[in-house]
Amino acid sequence: MFVYTREAHPGENVPHHDGLDAKLAHAALLRDETGISRDILVDDLAGTVHRAYGLMPNMTWVIGRGGRVAYKADWTSAANVEAFVDRYLAWRTGNLPETTPVMYRTEQVEFRGTDRQRFTGHLLRNGPRAAQEFEKAAEVWGRRSRAGTDIG
Amino acid sequence: MGQPDPAQAAAPYNYARFDDYVAAGGDLADEAAFWAAPRAGEPAADFTLTRLGDGAAIALSDLWRAKPLVMEFGSFT
Repeated sequence: MFVYTREAHPGENVPHHDGLDAKLAHAALLRDETGISRDILVDDLAGTVHRAYGLMPNMTWVIGRGGRVAYKADWTSAANVEAFVDRYLAWRTGNLPETTPVMYRTEQVEFRGTDRQRFTGHLLRNGPRAAQEFEKAAEVWGRRSRAGTDIG
Repeated sequence: MGQPDPAQAAAPYNYARFDDYVAAGGDLADEAAFWAAPRAGEPAADFTLTRLGDGAAIALSDLWRAKPLVMEFGSFT
């Protein structure tokens, strides 16, 4: 299931939401342009669900049948989610013998694609302004003293 | 006094410019909100959302009671 939130990179073509009709229209654009076949649930205009789960633009949560959080990641890595879900389902169906669930918090670097042209192309779908504003935001990130990813 | 305008009330959330949002530290606040949200093993928050296409009201709890629920959050970009 996919929760449609706010536009992370509003631009001339796909601006920020100023009403629920615009939000629903942009969610439909997402479905039609990307071919997402999962159910898309649309949050309210104020982002009530997005706020409750932590406001990151592309995060993934897994909730167990009892309503407890089984997994949360602040950025979505399909490979990482899939690996967890595989183990989780194996445990639920009794195929992880001699194991029991424990609290386990992992923080890691992740490995994203480096096709900047493709990413910029996605920004440009929203409008040229979206790409320009991302470049300006990158300057802000560069000025911040943050942990590096030189882990090799 | 009239009713507050929902769009105006939601304006800080629905920011118009990404660079201004980052310059103001909005992205850092979002990251902090993520780690302040329920942790593994804690109860997840239940809400009812609108399903795109048919407009059905869907409760998250109805989904996770049926089978473990994978929720990906995102937007067009």
